[in-house]
Amino acid sequence: MRSPETFHVQSAPLRPLFVKELWETLSGRALWIMLLLMCPLVGYSFFQAVSLYGEASAAGLQSPVLASTLSPLDGILVPTLGAFYVAVTLLFPFVAIRVLGQEKESGALRLLVQLPYRSPTLITAKLAAVLTAWLLASIPALTALVMWELLGGHLSAPETLNLVCGHLLYGLLVGAIALFAASVSESAATAAIVTLAFTIGSWVLDFTVAGQPGLLAWIASLSLTQVLHAFEQGLLPAGLVAGVCAVVFGFAALAAVWLPPGVRLRNKVIRSIVCVFAVALALGLVTQIRLTFDVTEDRRNSFPIADQHLLATLPQPLVVTVHLAPEDPRYTDLQRNVLAKLERTMPMVSVRLAGERQSLATNAGSDRYGEVEYAYGGRSDVSRSTSPREILPMLYGLAGVSTPAPAPGSDYPGYPLVAGSQSALFWFFFGLPLCIALAWWWSRRLPKPTAT
Amino acid sequence: MDGVLRMVSLDRPIPRISTPPMVAASPSEQARDLPLLRVDSISKRYADQTILSDVVFDIQAGEILGIIGPNGAGKTTLLEAVAGMQPVDNGHVRWHGKPLPPSRRREAVFYLPDGVRPYGEQPVTRVLTFFADVYRRSTSEVEDAIESVGLSSVLHKRVHALSKGYSRRLILALGLLTPHPLLLMDEPFDGFDLRQIRAIVDVLGREAIKGRTLVLAIHQLSDAERVCDRFVLLADGRVRGAGTLSDLRAKTGIADGSLEDIFLALT
Repeated sequence: MRSPETFHVQSAPLRPLFVKELWETLSGRALWIMLLLMCPLVGYSFFQAVSLYGEASAAGLQSPVLASTLSPLDGILVPTLGAFYVAVTLLFPFVAIRVLGQEKESGALRLLVQLPYRSPTLITAKLAAVLTAWLLASIPALTALVMWELLGGHLSAPETLNLVCGHLLYGLLVGAIALFAASVSESAATAAIVTLAFTIGSWVLDFTVAGQPGLLAWIASLSLTQVLHAFEQGLLPAGLVAGVCAVVFGFAALAAVWLPPGVRLRNKVIRSIVCVFAVALALGLVTQIRLTFDVTEDRRNSFPIADQHLLATLPQPLVVTVHLAPEDPRYTDLQRNVLAKLERTMPMVSVRLAGERQSLATNAGSDRYGEVEYAYGGRSDVSRSTSPREILPMLYGLAGVSTPAPAPGSDYPGYPLVAGSQSALFWFFFGLPLCIALAWWWSRRLPKPTAT
Repeated sequence: MDGVLRMVSLDRPIPRISTPPMVAASPSEQARDLPLLRVDSISKRYADQTILSDVVFDIQAGEILGIIGPNGAGKTTLLEAVAGMQPVDNGHVRWHGKPLPPSRRREAVFYLPDGVRPYGEQPVTRVLTFFADVYRRSTSEVEDAIESVGLSSVLHKRVHALSKGYSRRLILALGLLTPHPLLLMDEPFDGFDLRQIRAIVDVLGREAIKGRTLVLAIHQLSDAERVCDRFVLLADGRVRGAGTLSDLRAKTGIADGSLEDIFLALT
């Protein structure tokens, strides 16, 4: 039977490994049950979103000003994919854990680790399986977007792709955490607890400490859901994308460290510490990346085009000193309407909060509280406004340039639509679940015996 | 490069099939008289319990070696330690006299664990195809493996639906598809009746004749006596005796004793 010559290979093919992972992913009940549960979840969110958007559009159709406030990104995409986010947070960990946990529990992992693949290769194949599962899980959400188009709705390709990209990064992050948890845990149940501690813990962080100043703000920034916020606002932040990729890589590397059964615990801990330091270093570097793209059709995250072009040419550093507490709503407005846009536009902007540990309660009575000082090219001015209409002319005055004329034809028209979405309910509650059930049945078919 | 199956870089690479010394060992190898693999003073403790204590034995190329002992003797731990799947507190494994670190054991050794049902949701044929594709086995090689262990009738069943005996046959078939010169098998006869054991003994014998070295951990002494060339008797994590049946008879002074008699005498 044996032919000794066939063993003189220097590498094992990767295709069988990936094919095996694909079959294992498709054969798991968890994936199909998650898909079936997602149908009504995403479907009802879509139905609600279309209804509410229709109500707002009824008024918008009478008034161009109102119409210009109607964006499918806020009205349809974010709420529909929000339901997908809930499912990924609560259900997807079980699917991702199974990718590794099933082999661990059945003992197949003890065979797998002896095959001629290195641990990082095995984990890469499993991460590919997680990605496949995420792609399948996104089908209900993607069909909702198709249905929106069929109803006559408008979708901006950059906005849509950007938001889907954000959800993909979030899904990969959850998947990588699940793989790491499955790698270090003895049972799938323990791995599920570890992963849900991350995902649901993020919710807790969001609800309890978001918007708080100081250390609490920093803790809140560790929430996994922070990944999505920028994308939901129509921003594509290069630093965030690189940071999430680094964290995904880090968890995958940790999973690879803990995968081989024959390595001493001490060695695994040392390698894990090296991984954590490497990822921390990478995160430190990517936080320096300030490149962010505003992909929204209404350019909500940018100044008007003429202002953008002029501000980008101002060569000197702009120093902004804010006499506001971080939890003050005016600071939030200023940050969103002016400071964040300036940081994305001008080459050198530094913003500092005046006074250590400033708080609304202790500083609200101060004379200077509420002032924002802008210093450019040796000149400075003070404003209490949070509107770019007042601040930009002041900056132009400091820089000694004249206010640019607005570019014609750059107004966002808005996309009001009143549409019935009863058919969507039928699709998500009957049609799509039936298709998924059929696909499940197909994936479980046994190969037919070949006639001999 | 991923998945590199490098040869162990000692003075010579690990051959795919280690040639039995009585057939074609080179003169230089005969002169050196080195075992294929030496287990050198392996010890392993869990908390305050000693699982393996200073275990020493050799494995000669082309032989079928039985690790014999009752349940709890440390057989599985020993096999996993040799396969590099259990960290040990002390001891080494040497391949042709040169140290073989745990991270490189899988280049020389393949371990078939007991009680494993790999990929339960998949049909048997898909699991076999996976291993065959990984090791680039030809269709005829796969068919031979299936035929030799008698898996033909369950190829299209799911693995979780297999009986214990067929599940063991699947594991054995996977082992036959691997190219490693040394195969470690934990309780290979568990789940088989007498006729099936004889059939599997024949399969293992044919593998050994082809030059493959087999190490079997067995707790049924009669099964071990039927198939093994040499024995390592293990009890409470210690080696109580090692050698052929004749060696052990001589050591214990039981001239016509069975392996069972010898084991009882030594433990």
